[in-house]
Amino acid sequence: MNALIVIACLGIAAMMSEVLGFKKLLLPLVAIGLISVVGLFVMDWNTSIRYYHDMLYFDNYAIAFSAMVTVLTALWLIMSKEYFISTTSKAEHAALILFCLTGAIVMISYSDLSMLFIGIEILSISLYVLAASNKHDLRSNEAGLKYFLMGAFATGFLLFGITLIYGASGSFNLQEIANYLSKNSEHLPMFVYAGVLLMLVGLLFKVSAAPFHFWAPDVYEGSPTLVTAFMSTIVKTAAFAAFYRLFATCFSDLSGWWGETLAIVAALTMLVGNVLAVMQQNFKRMLAYSSIAHAGYMLMAIVAMNHISAGAIFLYTSAYSIASLGAFACLHALGANDNEKIINLRGFIAKQPFNAGLLCLAMLSLAGIPPLAGFFAKYYLFYGVIQSGYLWLVLVAVLSSLIGVYYYFRVIYTMFLPREEEDGVLPKISGGHKILLTIVAILSLLMGIFPGILQGIL
Amino acid sequence: MEPSLPFYILATLSVFSALMVVLSRKPVHSVLYLIFCFFTIGCHYLLLNAQFLFAVHIIVYTGAIMVLFLFSIMFINMNKESEPHKNTLIKIAAGVLAGLLFLVLLEATKGAETLGPPSPNESYSTVANLGKVLYGQYLLPFEIISIMLLSAMVGAVMLGKKSVD
Repeated sequence: MNALIVIACLGIAAMMSEVLGFKKLLLPLVAIGLISVVGLFVMDWNTSIRYYHDMLYFDNYAIAFSAMVTVLTALWLIMSKEYFISTTSKAEHAALILFCLTGAIVMISYSDLSMLFIGIEILSISLYVLAASNKHDLRSNEAGLKYFLMGAFATGFLLFGITLIYGASGSFNLQEIANYLSKNSEHLPMFVYAGVLLMLVGLLFKVSAAPFHFWAPDVYEGSPTLVTAFMSTIVKTAAFAAFYRLFATCFSDLSGWWGETLAIVAALTMLVGNVLAVMQQNFKRMLAYSSIAHAGYMLMAIVAMNHISAGAIFLYTSAYSIASLGAFACLHALGANDNEKIINLRGFIAKQPFNAGLLCLAMLSLAGIPPLAGFFAKYYLFYGVIQSGYLWLVLVAVLSSLIGVYYYFRVIYTMFLPREEEDGVLPKISGGHKILLTIVAILSLLMGIFPGILQGIL
Repeated sequence: MEPSLPFYILATLSVFSALMVVLSRKPVHSVLYLIFCFFTIGCHYLLLNAQFLFAVHIIVYTGAIMVLFLFSIMFINMNKESEPHKNTLIKIAAGVLAGLLFLVLLEATKGAETLGPPSPNESYSTVANLGKVLYGQYLLPFEIISIMLLSAMVGAVMLGKKSVD
């Protein structure tokens, strides 16, 4: 809770920095703030306190995910230094990023549906603006508008779902709704099911699962690369944490009813994401489709819903987000002048072998090759799903992972090709991007060799 | 509790005006019908003894938002040519999907009549009680929603202001 207040105040301070004239100190201030916030989360470990009439509940699950998104934001900041220097509205950018983080932590630790809604809205509204923050780029404007319209539509579904569930149970509190559902499991009114369905639709949209994924590639491609990196890592982690929390505490009694539906959605998401990613020539768009595919894997943990799924989804989101940050760091450093084609990577390994090796590690982790983090995350996830009896889902997941390996390896293969005349000069990766890439590679290796450090804590 | 005669009159009016929002050809007419629709929905709150909600609904929706809506529609040039032509297949698919969702929701709300509306004699929705709930149980959401408004405001300023270069 203290951490949440610190982040919100940090956001307000960032907003005021332009007026009060400490713009130069902004980046160090935010960095120190984020590190101290992680410290506050660590101090709250194992306390499990409910705050303000059970509006927020910081159990270990919430603390682990909140600390994770904060660490991811800090990592993200390493590569986005120039985002806060070269643009005119850097104070606003920093404030919006911090408000995003506030929303993310609220929606991770909520214990009341009203807080879930507010958390999602804080996160989304800041993101709509950030997606459109490159004002002179038409694609960025389109991304912002598309994201806003679709997001508002999905929020309508979510709200309608919350209303129907409130109408039946008379409470917004997760625990009380769960009690109501288990007590009246014999004769639930039909509109409870409609409410669960509508909430499911709203949340599936937010995590860009298969029938509701059409906005994602356009928005991810159009937004500034750094914002895309933020969206596909930090925001996705928070959305899944909220999704899992809702279905694990609230609707687990109805799992016989929504389990099959969600399993089919997960299978569809994995297949659609991976198959469409194969066809992309644009690196950024490929990463967008790959992020859709990974959403499908994460949905499997919600389908499985057993004692190891919380740990599995935590390990998976962290492994995916860290590797993804590495890929986006490369894309951002190399993709100057909007050159986001995959073939732009030709000759990368000959010119900058060290950086190329680091990108290789990130790609291998995304593909799920041992001994990297991605492999063990997938392993735990599949293990949990098999235990819950969804063998066919695991088969689909393995199949689609194989498709995934193809397009991740195509990136690595392209790096080995000789550089052609028309490709121009490959920008040198240095500074923050290089540091981030190194951290990403080290973390992916560490989490791959010792997966128990993250998996065991939940 | 049996629904009263005013309820039926209001319900008919709101369904009629909601239909007219979709069916009328001129955008300005649609907006005017929408204002009327919001007004009748506000009157439903009054029937449920929720005076504060009624007042807020009228002020915010009918007053502020719809006036903004009306202005922006008058600013936009809505000629036939400027409207993009939609694929017929997509239109049919959207219609079928929306119809199915409507059926599901209609079927789902069937069981709702057994619950009955809250008794109108309670003073649960007076401003005093609302304030107590808002500053008591729902203090945190009430405070944290300011972050949401702040981020919307920062965003509006950021997107709206002229860049220096």
